[in-house]
Amino acid sequence: MRRREFSLLMGPSLVVMLGLLVIPLVRTIQWSFQEVQYGSPGDWVGLSNYTHALTDPRFGQAVFFTMLLTVIVTAAILVLGYLIATGMNGLGKLRPVILGSMLVAYVLPNIVGAVSFSWLFDQNFGGAVNYVIQAITGQDILWFTQTWPNRFMVIAHTVWHLLPFSMLMILAGLQGVPMELREAAKIDGASTRKTHFYVIIPTIRGILGFVCLITIMDVLRTFDNLIPLSPQADAIGNESIMLYVFDTAFRDGSQQLGLGSAVNVLSILLIIVCLFPFIRGLLKEAKAKA
Amino acid sequence: MRFHRYVKTGIAAFAVTASLVGVTACGAGSRSGTQGATAVECDYPMPSSATTVNVLAYNSSAIDPFTNTMVKSCTREQVTLKHDPIDFGGQVTKTTATLAGDTGTYDILETYGFVIPGFAAADDIEPLDDYFAKHADKYKLNELNQEMRTAMSYDGKLYALPMQAQMYVMAYRKDVFDAAGLKPPTTFAEMIDAAKAIQAKGEIKYPIALPLNATADITTNFQAAMNSYGVDFLDSAGKPQFTSDASRKALEAMKSLLPYMDPQVTTFDQPKVQQQMFNGTAAMAIMFSGRMNDLTLPANTKLAENFAFAAPPAVEKDAPHLYSRLSVDGWSIPKNTKLDKDMLFQMMASSVSEDASKASVPAAYPAREGMVSDDSSKYAAAANATITKTMPTSGHPAAAPVTNAIRPILVQVVTGQLDVAAGMQQMQDLADKTVAGS
Repeated sequence: MRRREFSLLMGPSLVVMLGLLVIPLVRTIQWSFQEVQYGSPGDWVGLSNYTHALTDPRFGQAVFFTMLLTVIVTAAILVLGYLIATGMNGLGKLRPVILGSMLVAYVLPNIVGAVSFSWLFDQNFGGAVNYVIQAITGQDILWFTQTWPNRFMVIAHTVWHLLPFSMLMILAGLQGVPMELREAAKIDGASTRKTHFYVIIPTIRGILGFVCLITIMDVLRTFDNLIPLSPQADAIGNESIMLYVFDTAFRDGSQQLGLGSAVNVLSILLIIVCLFPFIRGLLKEAKAKA
Repeated sequence: MRFHRYVKTGIAAFAVTASLVGVTACGAGSRSGTQGATAVECDYPMPSSATTVNVLAYNSSAIDPFTNTMVKSCTREQVTLKHDPIDFGGQVTKTTATLAGDTGTYDILETYGFVIPGFAAADDIEPLDDYFAKHADKYKLNELNQEMRTAMSYDGKLYALPMQAQMYVMAYRKDVFDAAGLKPPTTFAEMIDAAKAIQAKGEIKYPIALPLNATADITTNFQAAMNSYGVDFLDSAGKPQFTSDASRKALEAMKSLLPYMDPQVTTFDQPKVQQQMFNGTAAMAIMFSGRMNDLTLPANTKLAENFAFAAPPAVEKDAPHLYSRLSVDGWSIPKNTKLDKDMLFQMMASSVSEDASKASVPAAYPAREGMVSDDSSKYAAAANATITKTMPTSGHPAAAPVTNAIRPILVQVVTGQLDVAAGMQQMQDLADKTVAGS
């Protein structure tokens, strides 16, 4: 492709990216060194915002919870996504029906899904799960005010919401595995488990890496589903980094945009660290193919 | 083949165009529900050129009557008032944005007591005293409740024209109370005794329902408890009062109710408290008056006929005020509007006229006195009784940041993670720091 053609085609995207990504990023970094409120130029405070964030136990707790959520949800989604995709791969006419019903959870707006999901655990709105647990064990679990039950609920919802996407990607990957490879493994006497671990999974590792990447990016930005699922998030240590930023930066009547920006910069660095192995892997693969 | 390609291209182009038209058409024109609004006289000097007045006000059953009256009555000849539907969160964000620069997007803003001092101290909104004095007789503005005008003032100046207010009202199950031989409680101790009696009957495990949501409502309730003793978060000089005797008593009083409330009460906002009452899982609830109308609607609950209303209790028998807060809504003029402020004031004044205020009852409790009689609604008598015994408070610019800062500590005290004394000291230290930095 000639340079002029390339510039003409890439130009609009670059302009949009500059306006919507680069400029806000530069402004975020700028504000992170200032004390800022809407409508007034910021006052330079040096590293004060970073010191505040890094010495704030609440931020530390938010990082811990977010990382915990990310690790558990990513692992669950990879395993469950693979198992369901494998099962789905064997289906015939039923596949579109089951796929379509599963995708409802993914396309539903996150906040709507989270509110509905919370009602399963909330006696005020039915609380079907509470009813079943009480019938079996006679116990009342305080899903919204106890730390680990609440974490279970948040993890369950996040997995429920993101699983269809992961399953769809892995299904697409499985359909790309050559039949000859599976047949060769069978002829060589490989068991089903060994076929999966030594033939299929290595073949689709690119897809699995991609699913990991997207899931980590999504879960690190957890925010809106915590509003209905964890109304007391801060008090029980289940506040995510994004929820912490929102509460800090946009408090009604007392914004702290500088501190929020500093936390955003720290979050970006954290995301880069988390995603680095995957990005490096993808780049290596792309180079090898080229 | 070529023909098919043209047809496909044409269909695609049509679909894109239709979508674009649909999306842009959605934003065209004002979408306020003015059809059923009360029309009042809105007599202001007509500007010389076509003028659009943009109004920012969240939609709620209490605010809409005033907004719709303003839009319907004041749109005439070459002046058009525009109001788009928006929720409360959206209003908060847009208010901050419109006040941020030298020019704004809105000319009339809905404001409320919590934010007035901050905006006024930052010189973002216009003082209204001169306009008030000029037009008081024409619009009978002296009939607007003085306490509500105080709530809309800062540093002795009026910054918003009050339109309506909400105060705490107690809703209770009359059938449950009658069966147990109980009367509506007038103190927290009586409320606890009533809760014990109801629990003993075995039908309702957690008879008391309060919105103690850890993200927002809990600080309002703590403030209401302190106000019952005649003390606010900050005194008139702006000094935090969290180590005061009133603060200790307020915290202990809140904690004393916990055994009679759902264990997850610190996650309950007002809609959840309403739901508890709808479900019959609570027998008494204290919320803002704007939430009471829902309890009277059979569409919401089979128990609608069983609810009665009373003024909330005082925390203690000798406390000077009730356990209540006054939340006042009003209209302000942003300093950065380019339109004639006298014209805008007259639009605001006409929206709180007698006819408009009467029409807003029972959904709203208008600022104009004499609009709500005890017969206006099932809870009107309770609201009238409450408003006279709610502590009058005027704001301070540091009140909002202090409230936000102490909230996590307050939650820890109420949930038992921190003892009362330590919590009081931590809140005081945090508040002192916040006031010093504001």
